[in-house]
Amino acid sequence: MSDAPAARPPLLEANGLAKFYADGNVQALRGVSIAVAPGEFLAITGPSGCGKSTLLHLLGGLDRPTEGEVRFRNQPLVGLDLDRYRAREVGFVFQSFHLLPTLSALENVQIPMFEGPIPRSQREPLASELLAEVGLSTRIRHRPAQLSIGERQRVAVARALANSPSLLLADEPTGNLDSKSQDEIIALLARLRGERGLTMVIVTHSPEVARAADRRFALKDGLAVDVSS
Amino acid sequence: MRFTTLIAKNVLHRPVRTALTALGLAIAISAVIVLVGISWNFERGFLAIYRSKGIDLILVRAGSTNQLSSSLDEGIETRLRKLDGVADVAPTLVDTVAFEDKNLAAVLVDGWRGGSLLFRGVRILEGRMLDPRDRDAILLGRILSLNLGAHSGEKLDVAGRTFQVVGVFESDSLFENGALIMPIETLQTMMGRENQVTGFVIKARSAETRDLDALRKRVEQAFPGTAASPARDYVTGDTQIRLSRAMAGTTALVAFFLGGVGMLNTMLMAIFERTRELGLLRAVGWRRRRVILLVLGESFALALVGSLLGCLLAVIGLRVLTLFPTAAGFIDPNLPPEVMPLALLMGVGLSLLGGTYPAIRAASLDPIQALRHE
Ligand SMILES: Nc1ncnc2c1ncn2[C@@H]1O[C@H](COP(=O)(O)OP(=O)(O)O)[C@@H](O)[C@H]1O
Ligand SMILES: [Mg+2]
Repeated sequence: MSDAPAARPPLLEANGLAKFYADGNVQALRGVSIAVAPGEFLAITGPSGCGKSTLLHLLGGLDRPTEGEVRFRNQPLVGLDLDRYRAREVGFVFQSFHLLPTLSALENVQIPMFEGPIPRSQREPLASELLAEVGLSTRIRHRPAQLSIGERQRVAVARALANSPSLLLADEPTGNLDSKSQDEIIALLARLRGERGLTMVIVTHSPEVARAADRRFALKDGLAVDVSS
Repeated sequence: MRFTTLIAKNVLHRPVRTALTALGLAIAISAVIVLVGISWNFERGFLAIYRSKGIDLILVRAGSTNQLSSSLDEGIETRLRKLDGVADVAPTLVDTVAFEDKNLAAVLVDGWRGGSLLFRGVRILEGRMLDPRDRDAILLGRILSLNLGAHSGEKLDVAGRTFQVVGVFESDSLFENGALIMPIETLQTMMGRENQVTGFVIKARSAETRDLDALRKRVEQAFPGTAASPARDYVTGDTQIRLSRAMAGTTALVAFFLGGVGMLNTMLMAIFERTRELGLLRAVGWRRRRVILLVLGESFALALVGSLLGCLLAVIGLRVLTLFPTAAGFIDPNLPPEVMPLALLMGVGLSLLGGTYPAIRAASLDPIQALRHE
């Protein structure tokens, strides 16, 4: 089902990532190494508190590792402009959506575009297209509070795609959803991946989500173990 | 969506807080522009006296910074008139009197010689002008007449002496409208300063700066111990003007900082309660610079509303203030137009004063911590 990572140069690579949190001497990660090929869908599972979010933050340039390095297109992240990396190369989806409550769906989707390559006149039409792509073309003027939980997460997915990133990172994207909405989000992500050739790394507790992935890693004792087979 | 739309939405999202903050800023800004406006008008009112009478130089005792503290010998007038370049000269003696029963603590008394150039720009509203032969006769400025309820043809006690009010006048200068004019000889007698004057006003043959400068030097040389100043310098050097400037400046500074603290409070509150949103912005790649612009933009929007509202309050407030008789004597109800840009400038200053720290704080949030924030 998937090529060996060595067959294609990886889009994203983690080498010996360790993360210590100074307060409380927590060692969240102890040496995680994974490589994600372009277009690949990777699921990361593990019990709560094992460091999944920490790993995703390191991959997404939201935090820096204590040891080891993350490489994107074979470039170490430490040498990159991280704001630019997050704005243009990475789309983030969070468990609790993090939509801006005062803005409509259409406006929320445009938030990352302030730092992206899209000229201003094209932002609104593009946001509108993205919302249609996630099946919300009739809800674009609604504010988050006026949308169902599942719809909110779809707005968040559309927002993650705002600057056409190559990489989608999602932290328990279905964790707050009922099972129907969960299925819809899984189907949506699978479809987007097919249509856009997105590379996805998804942290999940859900066996359904994990099953849809090309490869599955489990975090145990601060290390990542391939549990695909 | 425009960046400015985002700013506007954030500001309008909390209408009550926005309105209260803008109102606070408006009060601070209006206090400043009213005070500065009054002080500027005060200065301008003085200048208007000299300009409307065509007075070029003012001669007082050297070292006196205030009309009331100067004293010269009246006898130098004849020689002064003969100096080359002098077109006209008039002596003036100034004092203040109180009308306790009318709550007027310090009314300006001008001792002038009937028919002198000082009467230019003085228009008689009722009664007649002062005549050179008058002794116990006075003219009342329009506002003083109003405040005293005294009119031409009536008797009036001034500092223990009874005068006949021969006329009521109006002048281009607000100060003269609040003053009374009497023959200089009478004032000299009342003050026990026979043959003494406060100073002389001089009209020059040429008002060119170079000619005036030369005349100034000639006058000072001819009369050692005197100082001749162009009207403008004389006004800006006056102690009362300087005092009014200093008071306006100090109060303005205090109001400005109070406004700044109000702005700081509102903006800090705004970023604290939006910590998660700010974390999200950074997480999706917003640069620190853009977050700073967002917060400063919001404080600027507040300040802009405050400035406009402040101008409105100032205009209304000043009108209300001049309804009181004591204020009406020396406060012009019209603000000088130059204070409006000052209000805007203050708005910019306030948005920087109150917005900079919250903006920097917002920009330096750690996105992950901020997203976790409850
Ligand atoms: N900022 C932090 N400071 C200290 N400890 C932290 C911090 N963030 C996470 N941790 C700790 O690191 C471990 C991993 O956290 P996290 O990556 O959020 O786990 P998961 O997402 O798998 O639940 C946990 O024990 C958590 O308490
Ligand atoms: Mg987590």
